[in-house]
Amino acid sequence: MADQDLITRYNYDEFTAEKYQPWMRFNESPALGQPAPDFPLTRLDGSQATLKEIVSSHTYTIAEFGSFT
Amino acid sequence: MAGPSVNALADRVADKNVASIFIYTHEAHPGENYHHLTSLEQKLQHAHDLRDKLGITRDILIDALDGACHCAYGSMPNMTWIFSRSMQPIYKSDWTDSNSVANAIDYFLDITDRRQNREKLAPFHVERVDYRNADREAFYKGLERNGPKAVEEFRNAIG
Repeated sequence: MADQDLITRYNYDEFTAEKYQPWMRFNESPALGQPAPDFPLTRLDGSQATLKEIVSSHTYTIAEFGSFT
Repeated sequence: MAGPSVNALADRVADKNVASIFIYTHEAHPGENYHHLTSLEQKLQHAHDLRDKLGITRDILIDALDGACHCAYGSMPNMTWIFSRSMQPIYKSDWTDSNSVANAIDYFLDITDRRQNREKLAPFHVERVDYRNADREAFYKGLERNGPKAVEEFRNAIG
């Protein structure tokens, strides 16, 4: 079960430096050329997938992260 | 967000067994029209709007409500990663620019061809600064979709 405080902080309600800057952690992200972590994801139809099952069935996978806003 | 141009790139390389996915994260600039997320159902609806209103044609996958995947990869608002089949990242960019991504994937596809031609290759690391479009006027137009709150907060935070 995800921590409710984490969910609230991650889904911040306003774009202010104290709320968005803690999430800018690119310098702590996984290294290139090393195995990277897998995560469950949900498709638009509600079905479940994992990052690894997509990645492992293609020569390369381009993954863009973002949102409507 | 470089949506249409990355869609076009995805179409161009799809027949080379390259998957192109969009991982839905959190609302970077919540506003009156698109509030901050409080449920997976709401996140799913926003992701549908990303497809239907902003025209993202790639497969959209929704991260957990706590952003577990997004956070593990650095939680930047619009980053792009390229993975090899063995789940190793071979390109990571803290912002998305279709020219940068195209340059990288074309290079890796060429590596695949060279390996198939039995060329002996060894990996090495390179760092590089790439350049993205920085049209502030267009960015503000995008923010207006989210509602006046998003515009005002961005103006106050960044200018």
